[in-house]
Amino acid sequence: MIRMMKNGSALRKAVLLLATAGLACLMCLALHAQEKETPPAGGPPKPFTIPAHETYTLPNGLKVTLVPYGNIPKATLVLAIRAGNINEPSQIRGIADITGELLKEGTASLSARELAEAAANMGSSLGVQVDEDETTLDMDVLSEDAPAAVKLLADVIEHPKLPESELPRLKATMLRRIAVAKTQPGLLAEARFRKILYGDHPYGEILPAEDDVNRMTIEDARKFYAANFGAGRAHLYVAGKFHSAEMKKGIAAAFASWPRGSAVVENIPKPKAEHVLQTIDRPGAPQSTIYLGLPVPNATDPNTVPLVVMNALLGGSFGSRITTNIREQKGYTYSPFSQISRRYHDAYWAEVADVTTAHTGDSLKEIFAEIHRLQNAPPSAEELRGIQNYLSGLFLIQNSTRNALIGQLRFVDFQGLPEDYLKTYVQKINAVTPVEVQKLAAQYIKPEKMSIVVVGDSAKIAEQLVPYSSGVAAK
Amino acid sequence: MKSRFGVRGVLAMALGAGLLVGAPSPIAAAEDDGFHVPVEYYKLPNGLRVTLSPDHNSPTICLAVYYRIGFRIEPRDRTGFAHLFEHMMFQGSRNLGKMEFIKLVQQNGGVLNGSTRFDFTNYFEILPANKLETALWAEADRMSGLAVTEENLKNQQGVVGNEVKVNVLNRPYGGFPWLDMPQYANTNWYNAHNFYGDLKDIESAKLDEVQSFFKTYYAPNNASLVVVGDFEPAQARQWIAKYFGGIKAEDVPPIPDLTEPKQEHEKRATKMDPLAKKPALAIAYHMPERNTPEYYAMGLLSELLLDGDDSLLHQELVQKKGFTGNVSGGINLLGTPWNYSGPMLFIANLVYDSSTPPDTILQSIDGVMDSLRTKPVDQKTLDRMLVKGRSAIYDTIGSAGGFGLADLLASFALFDDNPARVNSIIQDYEKVTPALIQKTAQEYLRPENRTILLLQPQQAQSAAAAPAKQ
Repeated sequence: MIRMMKNGSALRKAVLLLATAGLACLMCLALHAQEKETPPAGGPPKPFTIPAHETYTLPNGLKVTLVPYGNIPKATLVLAIRAGNINEPSQIRGIADITGELLKEGTASLSARELAEAAANMGSSLGVQVDEDETTLDMDVLSEDAPAAVKLLADVIEHPKLPESELPRLKATMLRRIAVAKTQPGLLAEARFRKILYGDHPYGEILPAEDDVNRMTIEDARKFYAANFGAGRAHLYVAGKFHSAEMKKGIAAAFASWPRGSAVVENIPKPKAEHVLQTIDRPGAPQSTIYLGLPVPNATDPNTVPLVVMNALLGGSFGSRITTNIREQKGYTYSPFSQISRRYHDAYWAEVADVTTAHTGDSLKEIFAEIHRLQNAPPSAEELRGIQNYLSGLFLIQNSTRNALIGQLRFVDFQGLPEDYLKTYVQKINAVTPVEVQKLAAQYIKPEKMSIVVVGDSAKIAEQLVPYSSGVAAK
Repeated sequence: MKSRFGVRGVLAMALGAGLLVGAPSPIAAAEDDGFHVPVEYYKLPNGLRVTLSPDHNSPTICLAVYYRIGFRIEPRDRTGFAHLFEHMMFQGSRNLGKMEFIKLVQQNGGVLNGSTRFDFTNYFEILPANKLETALWAEADRMSGLAVTEENLKNQQGVVGNEVKVNVLNRPYGGFPWLDMPQYANTNWYNAHNFYGDLKDIESAKLDEVQSFFKTYYAPNNASLVVVGDFEPAQARQWIAKYFGGIKAEDVPPIPDLTEPKQEHEKRATKMDPLAKKPALAIAYHMPERNTPEYYAMGLLSELLLDGDDSLLHQELVQKKGFTGNVSGGINLLGTPWNYSGPMLFIANLVYDSSTPPDTILQSIDGVMDSLRTKPVDQKTLDRMLVKGRSAIYDTIGSAGGFGLADLLASFALFDDNPARVNSIIQDYEKVTPALIQKTAQEYLRPENRTILLLQPQQAQSAAAAPAKQ
């Protein structure tokens, strides 16, 4: 839930260059027009298949996937449990995050410090992430320590201490992070966008209320743990260099006594798709943060892969249309992007951009113009081919590290997609036609159904936003 | 997965590790897991440094080109120029018009990026393995010459201006401490100016300055090229000779004097931040000179102090005192302990509540630092630092489609003329002793060698008020 930036971490990408395709510069090319060389095309593609992996289920319902991969002497372990913000009672939003933090505070036999040192002695730390749908524990250990890491993970998840003594400190930390998050324009915009789409559904609250945090007791965390953690809701992934037979034996022994727990109760939202414009005033802001979008079909829909292609062409890649327009042609912004944001059987499309205050209205105009252009005419076969090649190549990169591989397999398992999803992904990418892209944009990316959030200097942008205000259909 | 801290502060290179002969031989880390990175290194007649490292696990390649021009040594009246120039390298070369380079990479299934750092500017692509020749051709094309216009420059001045706004001016803690701290802690202009650049300087840049900057620094004899991934070195050598062999070497000016005077007194500064609601604190120590035994020990000290929940500062400031939820930092916040060459800072930083006086936090930090100065760490602790260090190196080598390894190789080639050092890092680590750790803490983790930067929330009149130095 609390995805606010850890102080400093994201800033290191400060000089990251996001660039995009644009129009050729005619003046400078005229000189050499005749003598221009064509880039060498390269050889035929090398064959690629997803690395072999094995999945099985323990008697208590724990699913296990093993992926031997690579030559670096490390193993990555990820234990994903279907216990997230979606399972929180309404008066204590954030209890999943606090419970996640409490998992690191020791077990029946290890203090927090001993736990941290045990992980460090394996070349890792114990990571705990909580999102809308899941709590994820992860370790990334030296290969020789993989069996010990399995035992440690099992101890943490089966016998957490959840100590009351640490709760005040963890609550104070959470309140501090919420306060910091509320000063970040990107998070403010996203939080408001989510609220508009999902209302009181847990997906609509990415920042818990301070009152909820203050209200939490250790009993709440223990109840949350008891109600939502169990082997039947968990999937353990191991990728990297490890001894398979030894690993299987170790996993069976370490996790055998973990109770199955209760079944997952689904709570799929019905997000709102209507035109709304909301602004959040940030006096004096040199940029406006734009977050606009609408619900789209979720990962189980047959159009999922074609939508990925449409998004990459429209705004989701360096060379996409929106990025080319508002960055490389107009210079309004540095790092605009569009995305398909997913949760369990839920998804929305969004374009996000921090734009120069004076060009807030211009930026919206260009974003909608690009959407309309795609709705009104299919892309050229060449433009689409470029995007398909990009996504096909990206798929190789997305399967080239231990973590990335686990991420791919998790996506399929979590969303309950057919087993051949990854096998047929590239084929499906390349089967999309120009007319299909146009139709998808027309059918799903409807400006008149979009929620628009702008965080910026109201005094300077109010007038620019008039054409997009609620009640006026976005043009 | 990665430690929650952005930087896994690790080790550094230690050519000088010979001074440590006679140290008791450490233990656990001495495990020989047989892991070895293949490294082929040579130079073209024009001086281009080439490093090849095949790895056939994934059908992808990473091509990286590093130029020995970082933001440290950009022109004095043109702060931010090295970075602005980096953007111009995507605007057009002899055979590729504006943005055609990016289109070429993307349409061949790849991703790319460029970045500007203290001592280099880099450009890299990760592509399906069969596209290596295409990528080499394209990088050679832009090493051969720029073809950019006033219009391109104006466009990128707008883009970079927005980059500074989104990363610094319109966000709380913008530039804290990665951009701010060098300006407070250093005294030599080369290390102490605003590397992102004043907006005014960025807007004043001229096209002829772009061209002359290119001619001065973007020469093959000032560059390091690396190929990592699924390729055949013999074939790669042919292509590299074919595409880069004809590019002329240039007279590159010597690196100016970058040295920092020894700091004799603690410095303290306050930065007001109108966008922040919670105060923050950063503390920076000047690093030992690169490649000395102490430098290497500082790498392990960074592991001990900052990396992971077992680290001393986490245990003290988070776990025990509850001042903050997270202590960040490390050596070289804009990179890694390996990819720079010059004076550097070791920085720790945290956000806390106004109810806590900063001096209370500093007292706690002093307690941790004092303990390291007054007695040597025990062998068990040193062993743990070594395991963490080894693990972190493997993570770097295995990261991001080969780019982590390419970054190590390119930097070692550019700064040390020896990319094979990637294979001796772990052994070099193992030469550090508890006594050296203590000696290094005494010399470098002392109050006189540090700068404290306090960030204070300021009632905002306007979010645009530029954070001011005090």
